[in-house]
Order: sequence, then structure tokens, then C-alpha cells
Amino acid sequence: MKHSVALSVNGDTYDVLISPNETLLDVLREKLGLMGTKKGCDLGACGACTVLVDGEAYLSCLMLAVNAAGRKIVTIEGLAQGGELHPLQKAFIEKGGLQCGFCTPGMILTAKAALDEEAVPTEASIRRKIAGNLCRCTGYKKIVEAVSSVAALSGKED
Amino acid sequence: MRLPKFEYAEPKSIEEASSILSKEDGAKILAGGTDLLVNMKHRVETPAVIMSLKKIPDLSFVRPEDGGIRIGAMTSLKSVYSHPTIAEKLPGLALAASSVGSYHHQAMGTIGGNLCQQNRCKYFNQSRWWRSSRALCFKAGGELCHVVKKKNICFSSYCGDVAPSLLVMNAKALLESKEGKREVEVESLFTGDGKSPLGLRRGEILTEIRVPRECQEGFSTYMKFANRESIDFPIVGASLWASPDTKTVRLAFTAVDRKPLRARKAEERLSGGLQKSALEEAARLVLEEAKPVNTSLYPASHKRDVMGLLLESMITKLLGR
Repeated sequence: MKHSVALSVNGDTYDVLISPNETLLDVLREKLGLMGTKKGCDLGACGACTVLVDGEAYLSCLMLAVNAAGRKIVTIEGLAQGGELHPLQKAFIEKGGLQCGFCTPGMILTAKAALDEEAVPTEASIRRKIAGNLCRCTGYKKIVEAVSSVAALSGKED
Repeated sequence: MRLPKFEYAEPKSIEEASSILSKEDGAKILAGGTDLLVNMKHRVETPAVIMSLKKIPDLSFVRPEDGGIRIGAMTSLKSVYSHPTIAEKLPGLALAASSVGSYHHQAMGTIGGNLCQQNRCKYFNQSRWWRSSRALCFKAGGELCHVVKKKNICFSSYCGDVAPSLLVMNAKALLESKEGKREVEVESLFTGDGKSPLGLRRGEILTEIRVPRECQEGFSTYMKFANRESIDFPIVGASLWASPDTKTVRLAFTAVDRKPLRARKAEERLSGGLQKSALEEAARLVLEEAKPVNTSLYPASHKRDVMGLLLESMITKLLGR
């Protein structure tokens, strides 16, 4: 039986008709056309499908879309505000924290959850939290530099 | 990878949830989903009904009280290890919860779900295509075990990180159904049968973990040996609790048997004093108590070596505190 579900994604509410066996990842990509969220392993081992659910980094391939009703979902498309890139997005460009770009949406959203939890984390803490996001291009160094630079920035604002 | 088809239920109370579980033969509970949904994608579990506990109120909490600490079964692992009382008073549990999977699994996964996770085996946790090259094993519904061929039982290993840290604290589990509640030792949740590792009665749901007050005193730790620190299940996981005077020592291991294992003979030896001879004998005794078999990519002999090393590291930490 299909369920009619109201999904709150990037501040917009979408009424969608979904089967219980559809994952949030598939609904985001195939029903809402939000292709920024990537499908990597589809088994919760690579982090490419990371989205924010109520501010926490969730693997959308391991979440039923019906289970996401009533929760605030943010995908990579929802990060830039008013045409202005999010500081993390800017930092990834500036520091060269991406090459092919496939892991980048998941990486940035995980970093956002991590920085929201801890504004000025240690490098070890950043590395531990992004450890579930696999990147085969960068060797992680520039990604960690990008996240650290945003953390240092927010530290200055305080 | 598509999930198999199922009916979805979102009960709003324990009574309603318990009725669904009693009525529907193939109903499974969904908590964080990080174990069940992976198994479903592999088609090793294909429940007819999935029942989410998210809509049942008051299952996610950490409450330090006079009698000890109460933790709701749907509390995320991240909320468990981030809670100041747990971080300060129960470091063993905090370490265990923070070593599960990746940051994402810790945010999604729950303490109840982690305890009630499926046993694992290299012949079971595989895609349908991979498994199709040989006969189905007991755990996947077949009639043989590829690991221990002569025995007629499933030898899959229990690999949860949190269980050993709760076992050494003699934690209790609250089980609820429409018939009522009962409190049991967390240890007694596990049957030791690889095919159906959990010993809950029909219609019962794990709703709460209770850690006794005495455990907030003393020393506790959890150590995990895994291939990758970032995300893997343990090759071996071990937990230790010691009373402040170290006269009582409790030890438990995970990923070395069909259930999380209390090493009682070694505990007894260590509780008599932590001199070198006792440590050596305890390291020998833990190997007698566990029965690791080749259910993972790491041979049982390697697991036995790691058990000794983890025991030694935990005792060193205890003595150096």
C-alpha cells in the first residue's frame, strides 16, 4: 500500500505518494529530482548519501522515506542561501577539497553536522566524524583543511 | 538496491506495537534501521511487516536516578555517549557506543537496536548473488552451516559493541508487551543460538536499559580491535568493569561467540588480585570460555590472540588509572 507523506526538504514541503520500501535517498533523487544526494554503496558504508535530518548527519540510503515524515531534511541543494554559497562550500572550493566531486555533498553535510555540534573541533575530531565518508581522490588532507578553515572562522566570530 | 516489499506500521503505543508483533508472524521492529535495512537489501531478512517505534512516546531518554541510570531503548548511540553523566560515570558504555560504525550510524542507530542486532557471518551478510553460488545456510533459511560443517546449528557470531559494556555492569533490560512488563538481565536476552540470537517472548519489545548505581563507582572501559577504526564491526571487542578496590572484576567479549560473552572463570581469577600470575592465568581462561569460529574474514586463531591482547591492554589501563 502506498502512503501519502509530507516531506519537508530544504524548507519546502512536498506531498509524495510512496511505497514503504522506498528509501529517502531514492525518493529525493527520483521523485523530487534532487540529484545532489549521491548513491554510492547503497548499504551505509560510504557516506555519499548523507543528508541532514533534524540537523543530524543521516545516511539516506538506510532511512525509509515514510519514516522521514515530520522531520526537517536538508540536502546539499538547501545549503546555499540567497544565491550565496555556504561557508563550507566556499572553503571546499578555495582549499581544493574535491576532485571528482562525488563524495562532496555527503562530506559537506557531515562536516556541517559536525561543526554545528562542536564549533571549533580538533583535527582529530573532524577526521573521526568524516571517517564514514569515503573519498577516493583527495586523500582527505584538503577536505580536513577546508573544514578546519571554516571552524577557525566561526571561532573568530565568537 | 531496492528493498523487498513489506507493509509498514507506525504504532503509537507499546500495547499496539505488541499486538502487531503477536499477530503478524513476519513482523520486525525498525529502530535506527542501520542493521535491518542492510540485511533486507541483501535479502537475508524479508519481513512481511516493518514496525517503526518512532511514534511511540518516551522511548528516547537518559535519566540518571537514585537507583542508577535508565536509558530508553530508542535513544541514539550519539545521545548515549554525549550524555554528561554517562561520559563521566560510565566511560565503558560511552566508549562502546562511540565505537559503533561511523558518525552517521551513531546518530541514526539506537542503543536498543544495537543490542538486538542480528548475528553476523561471512556466508550470511552477503548479497543474494554472492550467496547463490552455494547452498543456503541455516541462518538464511537453508539446512547447513558452511563454517562448522559437522554440526547442525548456526554458528554466526554476535558482533554488537554495546552489549559487553552492559554485561560487565550487570545491566538490566526492561521488556514490555501487552501482557505487562518484566525486567531481565541484559545477558539473558541472548540465546546463544546463531539462527535466532534474541530470546524475547512473542510480542515483547525492549523498551529500556537500566544500569545499576554501583557501576557508577569504579573503573570501566571498552576496547575494540577492528580492521578500520572508521566503520567496521569488531574483530574482537572487550569490556571490563572493576570495583574501586579492584576486588571485583568483570569481563565480557563480543564477536567471539554466538552471543556476547561474560568470561566468568577469568573474572574469578582476577578478582583475587591483579598480580602477574593471575593475569597470565586469566588470559588462558578467557580462551577456554570463548568459542570463536571462522565466521568472519579473520581466522579464529587471530581472534584468540586479540582476546589476550585486549585483556592485557584493559588491565594495563586499569592499573594505570
